[in-house]
Amino acid sequence: MSDATHSAPHKPTSRSLHAVDARTKRRNASESRFKAMGIGAIGIGLAFLVLLLSTIVVNGSSAFQQTFIDVPVYLDPAKIDKKGNRDLADLKKATTFTYAPLIQNGLLDVVQKAGLETDLSKAKELKNLISASAAAQVRDRVLADPSLIGQTIDFKILASSRVDGYLKGRVKRADIAQDKNISVAQLDLTDALRKAGVIHKGFNTAFIFGADASDSRAEQAGIGVSMLGSFYMMLVVLVLALPIGVAASIYLEEFAAKNRFTDLIEVNISNLAAVPSIVFGILGLSVFIQFAHLPQSAPLVGGLVLTLMTLPTIIISTRAALKAVPPSIRDAALGVGASKMQSVFHHVLPLAMPGILTGTIIGLAQALGETAPLLLIGMVGYVATNTPDGFIDGFVSPNSAMPAQIYEWAKRADPAFYERAWGGIIILLVFLLSMNIIAIILRRKFERRW
Amino acid sequence: MNDMTLTERAVNATENKITARNVQVYYGESHAIKDVNVDILDKTVTAFIGPSGCGKSTFLRCLNRMNDTIDICRVQGEILLDNEDIYDRRVDPVQLRAKVGMVFQKPNPFPKSIYDNVAYGPKIHGLTRNRAELDEVVEASLRKAALWNEVKDRLTAPGTGLSGGQQQRLCIARAIATSPEVLLMDEPCSALDPIATAQVEELIDELRTNFSVVIVTHSMQQAARVSQKTAFFHLGNLVEYDDTDKIFTNPTDPRTESYITGRIG
Repeated sequence: MSDATHSAPHKPTSRSLHAVDARTKRRNASESRFKAMGIGAIGIGLAFLVLLLSTIVVNGSSAFQQTFIDVPVYLDPAKIDKKGNRDLADLKKATTFTYAPLIQNGLLDVVQKAGLETDLSKAKELKNLISASAAAQVRDRVLADPSLIGQTIDFKILASSRVDGYLKGRVKRADIAQDKNISVAQLDLTDALRKAGVIHKGFNTAFIFGADASDSRAEQAGIGVSMLGSFYMMLVVLVLALPIGVAASIYLEEFAAKNRFTDLIEVNISNLAAVPSIVFGILGLSVFIQFAHLPQSAPLVGGLVLTLMTLPTIIISTRAALKAVPPSIRDAALGVGASKMQSVFHHVLPLAMPGILTGTIIGLAQALGETAPLLLIGMVGYVATNTPDGFIDGFVSPNSAMPAQIYEWAKRADPAFYERAWGGIIILLVFLLSMNIIAIILRRKFERRW
Repeated sequence: MNDMTLTERAVNATENKITARNVQVYYGESHAIKDVNVDILDKTVTAFIGPSGCGKSTFLRCLNRMNDTIDICRVQGEILLDNEDIYDRRVDPVQLRAKVGMVFQKPNPFPKSIYDNVAYGPKIHGLTRNRAELDEVVEASLRKAALWNEVKDRLTAPGTGLSGGQQQRLCIARAIATSPEVLLMDEPCSALDPIATAQVEELIDELRTNFSVVIVTHSMQQAARVSQKTAFFHLGNLVEYDDTDKIFTNPTDPRTESYITGRIG
């Protein structure tokens, strides 16, 4: 080597590897800045997630508890069965107004027998402790078994939402001055009855399996019926969106000629995925209900609308999954003389399956959480008052869906509905979480190396 | 191992299997194969050699119409298999590919069991009537591919779990299970180590007794070892096509000589 190398314009300085030079320092500094920002971003994200989840749990968990009253009710034949013939048609004439005083009397008996001190001496004055639903509960029991008339039967009835709120700390003595639904004396009695074990809290099965109730009976409202509505809608979405979406993607990805027309379709599918869901709602209203005259508020229509909404998601993820299958597998199949169709269905599709399933479940989860389009086709929360009779009826009878139910509760005036809205969100999140877990399990199961 | 032992068997078949006349291939605007004429003999190993991008693989893929899967690819001219034009409108490429099998550069077994890999071709072509016959075909194919002894105890194991060389022999077994008449091999040893390569080469020579084999290779030594006829492609032209011995010892065209002596390519 000649000396010319040493007279190069930048004189090589002899550097120790133990001393970090300025340039390296700057590079390292920028790297650690970036890392710090990343960690910071993740930290903020996690903090908000924890905040969100804890808020949901704190606000919503009380919905899973409910206050009940144990009351022995004397089913007075003189009131219920004035004709004394135990005829069902006549028994039905006795409305809940007949039954309410019986329950109040029963509760007064309990109070007096236990020797609880209270200013309330009339049965009527106990009305505010008892849920309006209790009379219907007793009446249904009697209609189901008229032989009970004349006996004293033990009932576990719902306490009114004020009593429930008082036990849960929502209703405070300081705030009830203006409240005509509860009085201080009634709260005193509530405390006494609670000590006596007559009023107690229990797990609220009715919230998970029950139907929605009117504005005045917050204690009775449950998410069960709208959960069924969501279930039937998801069935419709799964049965329609999965085969149509997968078939469309296979055609577009594997068979369709690549030209301007298919490019246009591709762009439009991507755009559809970004269309606001309420647009799909109004489309469903005009096409399925006003034009095709399908029943209003029916999970069938909701399912159709959500299918339209989910299709782009499924098509996009399926196409991505098909694209990810190595072309060598297609070559291998074609090379042994498989037809295009055989190569796709025997080899490409099974390999794309994990991706397709993940996409489908994500699409379903999206559809499960969708509210806006459902409101437009009449699947509003207060519709979910009756459990459908049987499988077919589940698709056509008016119903709501979980998110629409939650929205309905959130906008009601009575603060008792507030905890139910949060509780509904917990249930919805449990569903979404389990769907995601299923997606992960399926992906693991179908995943193969090649 | 004596490199020349395999080629000592003289070209003993003179019957044309594939005849290509004035074949042109275009990828969109670019002219990839220019006016190729070649006669591929039956029961012979024919090697296509040439530098990268010279069109040898493209031409190979014309012989079983694998180029059909590429939208922008157009083929002109005539390719006759047993005197039938394979680009005739009446020809279904699926039937053609059952007759002209293919082994690819990278081993590409299906992510299924070894048995299913080999049985797939016979199954979709309906070559066997029952399970016993299918078992026979699978065993025979694996034996021909010199893989039987290594996998006979684990036919249900995934084909993708085999070593690279075994995978490639599995692909060869899969290709010959449909009893093709021609076997096309597109650089079958480029992803294999020397030991696996030697096994596959030996196998190719044995396959010659049953099939006409066309092999694309980057390795001139390999071409010299396994083939009886060699075609040299350069820039889309078929420069020279002759007996392998002649190509490697006394080429006519100066471009061939430059290539085999390492001056171009």
